[in-house]
Amino acid sequence: MKTWIDIDASELPRLAPRTHPLWWGILSAVAIEAAVVANLLASYFYLMAQTEGPWPPAGTEAPPILWPTVFLVLLPLSSVTMWWAGRGSDRGDKRQLAIGVTASVGLALLALVARSFQIASFDVKWSDSAYGSILWTITGFHFTHVVSAILGTAVVAVYAWRGYFNPARQLGVIVDTLYWYFVAGIFVPIYLVLILAPRIL
Amino acid sequence: MSRVPENPEATTSIRDESDPQMRARLAELEKTWQSPRGFIGWFTHVNHTSIGKRFLITAMVFFLLSGLLALAMRLQLLSPLNDVLDAQTYNQVMTVHGTAMMFLFAIPAMEGIAIYLAPLMVGARDMAFPRLNAFGYYVYLIGGTVFFLSLPFGLAPDAGWFNYVPLSGPEHSAGYGIDVWTTMITFIEVSALTAAVELIVTILKLRVPGMSLNRMPIFVWAVLVMSFMILFAMPSVIVASSFLMMDRLVDTAFFDVTLGGSPLLWQHLFWFFGHPEVYIILVPALGIVTSIVITFTQRPLFGYTAVVLALVGVGMISFGLWVHHMYTTGLPLMGRSFFMAASTMIAIPSGVQIYCWIATIWGSRPRYASPMIWVLGFFAIFIAGGLTGVMVASVPFDRQVHDTYFVVAHFHYVLIGGAVFPLMAGLHYWFPKITGRMIGEQLGKWSCAVTFVGFNLTFFPMHQLGLEGMPRRVYTYLPDLGWGDLNLLATGGSFVMAAGFGMILVNIIVSLRSGEVAGDNPWNASTLEWATASPPLNCNFAEQVSVKTANPLWDWHEQNQRAMVSGLSTTQRETIVTTLLDALPQSVMILPGPTIWPFVSAVVASICFLGLIFSPWFFVVGVFGTFATFVMWFIPPRYTTDPNADLPEEAKS
Repeated sequence: MKTWIDIDASELPRLAPRTHPLWWGILSAVAIEAAVVANLLASYFYLMAQTEGPWPPAGTEAPPILWPTVFLVLLPLSSVTMWWAGRGSDRGDKRQLAIGVTASVGLALLALVARSFQIASFDVKWSDSAYGSILWTITGFHFTHVVSAILGTAVVAVYAWRGYFNPARQLGVIVDTLYWYFVAGIFVPIYLVLILAPRIL
Repeated sequence: MSRVPENPEATTSIRDESDPQMRARLAELEKTWQSPRGFIGWFTHVNHTSIGKRFLITAMVFFLLSGLLALAMRLQLLSPLNDVLDAQTYNQVMTVHGTAMMFLFAIPAMEGIAIYLAPLMVGARDMAFPRLNAFGYYVYLIGGTVFFLSLPFGLAPDAGWFNYVPLSGPEHSAGYGIDVWTTMITFIEVSALTAAVELIVTILKLRVPGMSLNRMPIFVWAVLVMSFMILFAMPSVIVASSFLMMDRLVDTAFFDVTLGGSPLLWQHLFWFFGHPEVYIILVPALGIVTSIVITFTQRPLFGYTAVVLALVGVGMISFGLWVHHMYTTGLPLMGRSFFMAASTMIAIPSGVQIYCWIATIWGSRPRYASPMIWVLGFFAIFIAGGLTGVMVASVPFDRQVHDTYFVVAHFHYVLIGGAVFPLMAGLHYWFPKITGRMIGEQLGKWSCAVTFVGFNLTFFPMHQLGLEGMPRRVYTYLPDLGWGDLNLLATGGSFVMAAGFGMILVNIIVSLRSGEVAGDNPWNASTLEWATASPPLNCNFAEQVSVKTANPLWDWHEQNQRAMVSGLSTTQRETIVTTLLDALPQSVMILPGPTIWPFVSAVVASICFLGLIFSPWFFVVGVFGTFATFVMWFIPPRYTTDPNADLPEEAKS
């Protein structure tokens, strides 16, 4: 059988940070976690529908609005610094990248402090009622995600300060940023359901 | 991208073994893709052929063990008031049988066959994330083994495979049994999810140039649909079992009615996973059947587009049916009617597939080799199961037979017919590719016949038993109910079926030792997995190809020429990346080599999940512990010595 060369792969890029399969992998991970959040929120509404009378149940205050709102502002802010870091990385500006990701980690740590204040001010324990259980679970789930995003980005920051990344080799930055946007973005529906809805409905 | 060769004779294939330069190239390539040998080396393998084979073998071991449990149950039910197993043991055996067959056999076996074949079928050198693949396997191996060991230690769960609350809640199930279920099932689902991500990205991005989505083999389509289903179904069972875990461990109140919880929440979450789960097993099986029908009729598939749409349709509709498991829970009439209509709707895409198979076979001269015989067995059993499926989809009928042996008969027809028979067909079909030897043809056919007869003897009487009112999950029954004869028949049948599976095992062992040596493409099939040696090379393909049609091997033969990709490195693991829809060349992915870290990560994760049975603090330990091992796993390998080592020349500035 005759064999002929159709495509010469030696001309194709080896480090293609924008079209790398890992980007799709992280996107799939995001889809899974979004599905988990959807299940958690559906469970919240199911328990709400099953409860006769007010929701949160009588005698329980809805979570205070101050600290989650601080959290809601800080997380997108940290996404902006992530985006700014990525722009630096695209231009080969290693310093801007390093400062940007470090700032994001810092902002997210601040956000975690705000989050901890909020959790401390919950009016209900997880073992008090099904409302308490689902409230603590959703909050804890998101808290864990912020922690893992911070840990991952901290590693990226260490490598950024050591000058590892450059425009060709910035896959780590790009996928970490994608995950970061997800962790920041997924808080919006959580905030709307857990914090805002009980006040306006 | 493609260009007509100016002088096709001038270029030669890398497998032209007369050329010493080419031979040296191939040897170097094979060395690059070689998995380490030795005991420690075993834990570092990442090649998909190696991991896929392990998934398959492990799943088969769990299948045999769960099958033995089924025999124990049948022995107990042989006659009224039998005392082979006491009630408690029977419940444990039944729960472990059901759970293991679903979570430790059916899903991993389908994943295994997909992990082994999908990359070969799309012409890739390996999967997109080889280390994640290895991690998923160890998670499955450890989780599955712990789950199974709970039985001899007397710690096995005993609330059935769907583990309903409140029976499985802290009040009614003290002890560690249910905790083993909740933690290990959640843990094993992690492995299903990693496999799904892996398969999706491999199929979407690592297809060889020219294999646009409309030229992808049907099996690959089926695997893609299965993976997306896993992606959206597994989170529900993870959420459900996490709720139950927390109810049992830290006193949350998700399912505690006195504190505002709802046991029905469990059923909704479980079945939102549990129903798609059935199709997660069925869809790849349909892909196997289609591959075999194409090869053994030697024809392109009739209605390719219709079959693809049917597969996607089955995947989507299956997410809208879960409530038909809950007809007797007092749902509103409107809800029941909706889900009854939705359940019946699934017959439409299933029917489309069956008609396309019939049209493909029609007027051809099928070659009735052993894989095709297993496919015929599948047709008979699965269609019978489908008919009872239409019956139980109907609310009034279901309310009569709910929780009886009629349902047991129905789902064994669907699952054994819809998954085990196709798997066995696939085993006979791809055995030469995986092992390099043909499987014994005579014994292959006989084992199919014996299994078929045994299966029907076992499960057909259960329809009648169910109609007579025998409830499922009972460890015994009274003599004057008149169920003795049919149960005796079923038990006899189960041993015939076991003999059939024993024959398959013997056939495999004998064929491995002394089967006829298979060539690259013994069945004259049309898909790319047959375009490499049997068993496949370490690098899968000496040269990645570029395809122009949907049945490349047949067309190469007809045109007596083929196109390929050149310019991939022989000293690092490279595979070509293409665009999502049209598969135009885009870049080259450098894949990571063997490493021990996925194994270490899996061990750390296992310890933490096991710890969760005893203390919630293992959650915190788990988050940080697995994170640390992941970092070790992802650290750029050569960074420590030369920060620019993996960069192309022009970027090293």
